[in-house]
Amino acid sequence: MAKAVSGRSRTGKHLEEIDLLPIMNLFCCIIPFLLMSASFLEVVVIEMAQTEGISTSGAGATANLMRSEEDRLQPKIIITDEELFIGTVSGSAHVCYALETELNGEMIITFPWDSLTVAITEVHDILTEAYPQIEFHKITILTVEETRYDNIIQAIDIAIAAGFDQPGLQVAPTASVTSAMRGGGN
Amino acid sequence: MSMPSKRHVPLLLGSGKSVAVSHGKDKKVTLSLTSMIDMFTILLVFLLKSYSTDGQLVTVSDQLILPKARVEKKVELKLDIQVNNSFIVVDGDPIVAVTDDLLNSGNSIPELVTRLRDHMEYSRLTRGTLNEEDTKINIQGDVGIPAILLQRVMASCSEAGYVGQNLAVIKEEPAEGGEV
Repeated sequence: MAKAVSGRSRTGKHLEEIDLLPIMNLFCCIIPFLLMSASFLEVVVIEMAQTEGISTSGAGATANLMRSEEDRLQPKIIITDEELFIGTVSGSAHVCYALETELNGEMIITFPWDSLTVAITEVHDILTEAYPQIEFHKITILTVEETRYDNIIQAIDIAIAAGFDQPGLQVAPTASVTSAMRGGGN
Repeated sequence: MSMPSKRHVPLLLGSGKSVAVSHGKDKKVTLSLTSMIDMFTILLVFLLKSYSTDGQLVTVSDQLILPKARVEKKVELKLDIQVNNSFIVVDGDPIVAVTDDLLNSGNSIPELVTRLRDHMEYSRLTRGTLNEEDTKINIQGDVGIPAILLQRVMASCSEAGYVGQNLAVIKEEPAEGGEV
């Protein structure tokens, strides 16, 4: 058995113990305080750009679509019941098809968001490369009336992650969105 | 002073030593606090990580489920609109019931615009003047609301003068490995 280096330990001496009770008392005070102050769900916000309304007939929506087409460089994420597109200056491109999944006994529509992540990052890179003098921040989420809110938030979240941090929302009847798509080319 | 029975072994925690004395023999039972200290330390680190000095600025209604997103912008204390598939609630007051008509027609929602204008007017009267921060509003939407309802609420906010609209979401931590 190795001899103690310090020389303090001698045969027959008792071992000193650290009194842990004050530490326990301190912990018992701190832990309830921290439990009360802890926030396990953090609420954050997405700042939206100014939205534009639509009228009952959808005529307003068409006008809005036309106006948004005037802003040629601003890309759009177009969400319909069946597909998801990205609209750019050179037209709209198909990204993915909708998926139907069951949530709490209800069938809901969702999308494979990884496809959008890849596509929107690619669009941002292409735009930045082609127009280096412009900083691209704005993007429009153009969607049909029935699209679920969580799908919109997902699309916005992906757009923000790709660099488009000023999202706007446009909602239009399905017919208007479809006609805009047809006019958009490939 | 009588000694305790065998069944009641007192823990002499207050005496400065974590020792229990059993009756009869002079046998001392030591309560090991080390493992408990270890556990408390882990708990303390976890709670310190979750500690928030801001507190809960936004009260999320139990009538709605907020969507999740990875954005970082902190929520500020503003006027709250809560929207679910049954009601539109402003600052705790139910304003409009969500009906099929509401989902089929028009732009802004007149009752909502009136309520928001009243609130803005009240703010103007109490503060004297309004700055840009006073024209911001937080919208808490349930994951299941349709886009048309959200759009109508946002259009109503714009019409009432609330030009800065923030959508409240639950912060989602990014996946391990920095996956986007």
